[in-house]
Amino acid sequence: MTHSLHRHGSRESLRNDFVFLATPAAGINHEGSKEKLIRILDLIYQLGPANIGSYETGTILAGATIEEIKARLAEVPRVRTAFSSREKVKELIRQVKEEDLGLSITVSGLIEEVLAMAQELSIQPHSVNLSLGVHGRTADLPSEEILEFVTMCGHGMISARLVQDTIDRVKKGNLTPEQAARRIASPCVCGIFNPDRARELFQKYVPLHRHVPALAPEGPAARDLGSGALS
Amino acid sequence: MQINPGTCTGCGLCLPYCPVGAIHLVGLEEAKPPRAPRRKACIDLEACTECGTCGRQYIVRCPTNSIQEDLDILDGPRSIRKYFSDPTTTHKLTRVPGRGTEEVKTNDVTGRFPRGKVGLAIEVGRPILATSFRDVEKITMALAGVGVSFEENNPLTHLMEDRQRGTFPAPAKAARVNSAIIEFTVPEAELEDVLQVIAVVSREIETVFSLDLVTSFARDGSLPLLTTLEKLGVCYRPNAKINLGLGRPPAQG
Repeated sequence: MTHSLHRHGSRESLRNDFVFLATPAAGINHEGSKEKLIRILDLIYQLGPANIGSYETGTILAGATIEEIKARLAEVPRVRTAFSSREKVKELIRQVKEEDLGLSITVSGLIEEVLAMAQELSIQPHSVNLSLGVHGRTADLPSEEILEFVTMCGHGMISARLVQDTIDRVKKGNLTPEQAARRIASPCVCGIFNPDRARELFQKYVPLHRHVPALAPEGPAARDLGSGALS
Repeated sequence: MQINPGTCTGCGLCLPYCPVGAIHLVGLEEAKPPRAPRRKACIDLEACTECGTCGRQYIVRCPTNSIQEDLDILDGPRSIRKYFSDPTTTHKLTRVPGRGTEEVKTNDVTGRFPRGKVGLAIEVGRPILATSFRDVEKITMALAGVGVSFEENNPLTHLMEDRQRGTFPAPAKAARVNSAIIEFTVPEAELEDVLQVIAVVSREIETVFSLDLVTSFARDGSLPLLTTLEKLGVCYRPNAKINLGLGRPPAQG
């Protein structure tokens, strides 16, 4: 139902992770919405998002430009973007409300944070999609640490193996956490993957000093791992 | 997806990118020139969900551009896999990109989930494990058994051969997809019974599902359904997706 809803992670890790979607309703107000979405894209870009994507072009992280994204919006277009700053996403909501473009706006994030922003902007939210968790054969899932990365792409395009392979490369000193974040972000075509949060997760889970043996059973590197799941 | 055996060098660059682990390196037994590769990448078509990731050159950067999509992928026998795995596709009937619907995204305009009703979605295969339609059918049949009416604007509903029984035709049941989303709306009074059905069938499937619930805010800004969920012992995550109510024209009710 929704690819931005089921992000795993601690409250602290999710606190500055927001997905902003602007969506015209097919058959109701989608005609003529392209210009409005282009306006919203301009507002987003000026504020400096963590990511922007488009099914037609891929994401800015994968090399698409904002001009390409604007030029190739679909018949029933959508804007999808991730932010790592509460202040930026709040300012975006304020601007979109002020311009009264009439498109539906959803924000995914910590409930308390989104509701607080709405209250500060005198907005009464309409409805909410709640995540009631994962059920079924959950023992087959990868570790919770891996899930924190892969669930930032709700479409399931980022493989657990790619995350594990990237963690191994960071451990060996072949990638920085920032490069690693961009690598695993690339399969997300819609632009809601948050590379800033991914970088922080790499910094949290992977020993940073290449001269420290990453897989040593003792010593600072092993202690920093926190969980055996990523070793 | 297909890998051209004539140009693949067996470098293995594509392997970790496949979300369902469908790409393997296979050794070559037959006689070959001395400098030819000793192994090549091969896609297990039963496991492949046709998500298209490996073929996107800006992602995998295959040095010989050897990974290609079938030309008839959107109309051929594997199109079911494509529509339910590649978010860049748009379903012909619903005109909605991806495999789901607009759900809460446009609820302020469509009014699909008015006060007194809740929307439920069972995202089978999410996160990351993917699913067969046989598992999807186990769930839809269980829900049909208690009278659930499936969301008209969801591509999954259009695949059903019998919506009253929640069954799918044989070609669909042969498909494996990244995820399939079962959507429906129920009166709040029926929520407990439906959640019981979902809990029972969750023990009968060979994959996972993520469960969503859509509800509207009361006029005073509260969420009365949270009290109901607490009474039922149902937990929800601290993060959610919130429709800010800025869409026009506003839905009635």
